[in-house]
Amino acid sequence: MRTNEDQLVEMAIAGSISAPAFKRGPFLPDNDGLSVVRPGMFGYVYNVRVGDPAFGWQGDHVEPGASIDHDDSGIHHALHYLTCMGNKARVTSGLAAGAMGTVIGEHARILVDFEPDVHELLCVGDTIQIHAFGRGLALLDHPEVSLKKMSPTLLHAMNLETTESGKLRVPVAMELPVQVMASGAELNSEYVDQDITSGDRSFMKESGLDKLRLGDVVAIHNADHRFGRGYREGHVAIALCIHGDSVMTGHGPGILTLMTGTDDTIEWTLDPSANLALHLNIREEL
Amino acid sequence: MRHNADRLVHVSVMGTIASPSLPGLPAEPYRLDADGKPFLYPTHGSIVYNVSVGDSAYGWLGDTIHPSVSIHLKDAGANQGLNVLACVGNRARVMTGLATGAVGTVTGKSGRFSEHVIVHFPRADREKMAIGDKIQIRAEGVGLELGEHPSVKLKACSPNLLERLALGTDDQGRLRVRVAAVAPSHLLGAGAGLVSDGGSLHIQTVDKDALAAAGLDGLRLGDVVAMQDFDSRYSHGYFRGAVGIGVVGQGDSPRPGYGPGLTLVMTSHDGMIAPEIDPDANLRSLLDLQA
Repeated sequence: MRTNEDQLVEMAIAGSISAPAFKRGPFLPDNDGLSVVRPGMFGYVYNVRVGDPAFGWQGDHVEPGASIDHDDSGIHHALHYLTCMGNKARVTSGLAAGAMGTVIGEHARILVDFEPDVHELLCVGDTIQIHAFGRGLALLDHPEVSLKKMSPTLLHAMNLETTESGKLRVPVAMELPVQVMASGAELNSEYVDQDITSGDRSFMKESGLDKLRLGDVVAIHNADHRFGRGYREGHVAIALCIHGDSVMTGHGPGILTLMTGTDDTIEWTLDPSANLALHLNIREEL
Repeated sequence: MRHNADRLVHVSVMGTIASPSLPGLPAEPYRLDADGKPFLYPTHGSIVYNVSVGDSAYGWLGDTIHPSVSIHLKDAGANQGLNVLACVGNRARVMTGLATGAVGTVTGKSGRFSEHVIVHFPRADREKMAIGDKIQIRAEGVGLELGEHPSVKLKACSPNLLERLALGTDDQGRLRVRVAAVAPSHLLGAGAGLVSDGGSLHIQTVDKDALAAAGLDGLRLGDVVAMQDFDSRYSHGYFRGAVGIGVVGQGDSPRPGYGPGLTLVMTSHDGMIAPEIDPDANLRSLLDLQA
């Protein structure tokens, strides 16, 4: 795939590992109104890694790996707008200083994967610096496909092809039906993610959505994600599953926009290996 | 229709008329439409002199315009109290300024990024009002339940609105409710996943053909609309067979994911609400609003 990556600016941006935080009342109402308390967001999640199932954890919005943020609003937003999926990250303070990781998601915070041997050395508050690289990336032979938060590393690992008719063909692990796309519709599509509403549990099972994995590349048909995330026939969004399921209605696994296009410019094929953990050699098999 | 209105606690909530507010420096006042084109229109808040419940929800050069008057409080907790306890159909009264004593009616709410309560006043009263005037609402409705319809949850629904909306019970035991239109789940956007005890859920209007196919392109402010396959018991989300009832609280928007906003008044996750089309199902007539 020909790109303009030789023109991109590679810039450092840093945040620190967040501390788990709760509202004063810790309860979340689940789909039937039962109040529950679950871990998942913020901090460092030791035992859920990109490539693992998005469903089935006793958690809420589980963020795999290190969840990093910055208290300053401007820096917080710079983290969100400059960081791209697949960017390299380096621990710059604490016992794990020097360890290298990989950006695997953007939720309310930026999510960074580290090898298990680094886990015990990481501490809440440790600084992690990202080589932000990808903003402005474009496909020279597919000018009508736009890319968001896509690093050249991930782009070249996605097994993209150009079809005979000139469309971009993207392998995806799953197609998501547009009517389940929920929380996040109120935000612009450069900021964080949009959740799959998982409250209709039997629909999740019947449709196979409950097989979704963290890191899966997915396609959504009739969704326009260029400047927000809304319903529009003929538009296509290619996205990345970045966090786990939720107990709350209108919430569930979150997906982050990677590409936008239309029926005329993008098509997708189903491929179970279309997962960021495999694309970036974070894991050998799932 | 058996309900527990005689057990409800009537409590005062107050808000002040909200000023329009736009982002500060670097002074980029634009929002983006669905095609990425910047636009600058009046948006939520303030006294809107020339748009009222009963008017079209479409065609205004505005972004999610609240008809008539919007009120809020600066303190987040107090504003939450106002936004949750105020019910559609509640009486409001102006407590300060030149319009003191004028009586209005709650017609809707807005959600994330504004969180206002929208109150209808006759146009003549609006002329006398000032931004910052205090408007007090006799809040009654939170806790309202229907004896024969335990799976129908009422939210922000005043007893007087309930009496006007509900037509009785059908032969399958469902609550019959008059609605002007029915919105399919794929056109419900911003507000999904957010609270349903206050705030708004927006009909998406970027795809005009899909909007027309669903019969939603003629909506008026104040229209009662059913939401198909949406469960709003605790927040809003897709759920097959669920039915919600909302009222169009605010107008259309050029932003993706947005459009006329619905203030939820009823929801049943197991489909025990039976919407019946009635083109006159609008708050203007249901609540006898004066122009």
